[in-house]
Amino acid sequence: MNRFLSKDFLSGLMFIAFGLIAIYFGQKLAQGTAVRMGPGYVPRMLSYILLGLGGVICVVALITGGEPVERIKWKPLTMVTIGIVCFALLFERAGLLPALVVLVFISSLGGEEFKLTEVLGNMVVLAILCTLVFKVGLGMNISIIQGVW
Amino acid sequence: MELLHNLALGLSVAVSLQNLLYALLGCMVGTLIGVLPGIGPVATIAMLLPITFHLPPTASLIMLAGIYYGAQYGGSTTSILVNLPGEASSVVTCLDGYQMARKGRAGAALSISAVGSFFAGTVGTIIIVIFAEPLTRMAQKFGPADYCSLMALGLVAAVVLASGSVMKAIAMVFLGLLFGLVGTDVNTGAQRFTFDVPELSDGIDFAPIAMGLFGIAEIVVNLERHLTRGGAIKVGSLWPTREEIRRSIPAVLRGTTLGALLGVLPGGGPTLGAFSAYTLEKKLSKNPGEFGKGAVEGVASPEAANNAAAQTSFIPMLTLGIPSNAVMALMVGAMIIQGIQPGPEVMTKKPDLFWGMIVSMWVGNLMLVIINLPMIGMWVKLLTVPYRFLAPAILLFCCIGAYSLQNSTFHVMQVALFGVIGYIFVRLGCEGAPFLLGLVLGPQMEEYFRRAMLLSRGDPMVFLERPISLGLLITTALLLILMALPSIKKAREEAFQEEG
Repeated sequence: MNRFLSKDFLSGLMFIAFGLIAIYFGQKLAQGTAVRMGPGYVPRMLSYILLGLGGVICVVALITGGEPVERIKWKPLTMVTIGIVCFALLFERAGLLPALVVLVFISSLGGEEFKLTEVLGNMVVLAILCTLVFKVGLGMNISIIQGVW
Repeated sequence: MELLHNLALGLSVAVSLQNLLYALLGCMVGTLIGVLPGIGPVATIAMLLPITFHLPPTASLIMLAGIYYGAQYGGSTTSILVNLPGEASSVVTCLDGYQMARKGRAGAALSISAVGSFFAGTVGTIIIVIFAEPLTRMAQKFGPADYCSLMALGLVAAVVLASGSVMKAIAMVFLGLLFGLVGTDVNTGAQRFTFDVPELSDGIDFAPIAMGLFGIAEIVVNLERHLTRGGAIKVGSLWPTREEIRRSIPAVLRGTTLGALLGVLPGGGPTLGAFSAYTLEKKLSKNPGEFGKGAVEGVASPEAANNAAAQTSFIPMLTLGIPSNAVMALMVGAMIIQGIQPGPEVMTKKPDLFWGMIVSMWVGNLMLVIINLPMIGMWVKLLTVPYRFLAPAILLFCCIGAYSLQNSTFHVMQVALFGVIGYIFVRLGCEGAPFLLGLVLGPQMEEYFRRAMLLSRGDPMVFLERPISLGLLITTALLLILMALPSIKKAREEAFQEEG
């Protein structure tokens, strides 16, 4: 087994990466002194702790081995993410209904089974439910189809 | 006598028509998501958080609390009838509950677990009432340094009691703290890690983060796994036999006590309560061989424990403002949305909200017995809805919920981003709960830390000089040392292995 592909080693790397990102983007924040801390004091402190912990986790992982990461199945992850992003892009420009149709369609593609009639039925039920709950019931200021309702 | 006065006040708030309706709504939603695998109370509360903005403070907290303990009831139903835990806290109920159901005792198992849960919920509520005032009074003496140490203890304890690697969980807490600092620095007005995004200047909203980490990531993992479900077992008579009652009563009592104790601990809560109660019953039993084959104690005790713990886990949040688990972290968020700073002031400044919420939890427990027993058939039918219908629906509600936070699609994008991050966390075996606790406590902890250091003129010894702070820090250190001891480490790993 490749030791560098264990869950622990990779999560150690992730913590180090977050620490480095925070240090890089926090450079401009004034550190201040321990009495009068600037906005950068605590973030920097936390970043160094993350670097340290990440390093220790990596070293321990290399010594003890540990569980390998499972192979990622890309389909559900990408479909769900693309679905949400499309929803975000469409919601204000086109309205709830088109955004809903696209989200339900794309995210259903992420599952193992895909039957068009079922997905269409699901869309109809959800569209009615959402309109009733959010637009009529809670009176939220959203348009169902932009420019129409 | 003041206690009775407070309870009367709470009762008058809790039984108003509006609050009764929201308690009922919360319990129904809670039971629903408890029954449905693949969505838990954390994601649901995060999803509904933006909507509570439209409700009065008391009603919204009553509803969210109802979802939390309602999920404990609902989770047990599916454990017993189809051997599928709806919630993590009812995993152990599967062991003996499903076996009882196969022997034709499903109805008895359901009613014992519902009545046991109700009893435990009642005791939990009484414990909150008794301890709320003294704890609040104690908390009012806390200075900034003490608060900082208390939060450190809370975070460390949460890590220790959570499953998985301690080191990774601690790193997750720090990562959460770091994310919590995004936004405008309160003291200087400097923009931190906002990348010129105006939506980030008020701080990072944790509702979309919670939705991403606990909702979206969970959906993705479930879609990969392809959930399958067996048929439900017929319920039959709800009446337990005399023998079953005789054996359940002491088990319920023990489960309630253990659950109530473990619920108060940071990082404790229903899941830990249920597992410990099951282990205890098995150890105490004269014939441990019966466990796993339909022992009634194995249902009664964990079910009582998870409900008692669900109630008492409100104590640190209500009195100290320190959330002990992810759900409580979101409750803190719900209070902040309503303009209430959680902490000892809530009880003195908003007694109607405080006592109303507590009494409503008892009322809600009573409702749940009714929702769960006579209406059991309806919940069982829901189980036949396939996951491929549920997943898009949950996604949709998350998106709309995130949007309605501030009428901005930025938050929807945030859900997508944290869905991916949450998925990475799951794959790397990093727990989301410590991250969320750190995120929620981050801004406050920095504030107390800076104030304490300012008061002490930059001398970090202040954390060791104040007796309260010192005591808390010593406890924290002891916990960490205990965790490093090989024997305890091994026992802890074994305990969590049973869980997985």
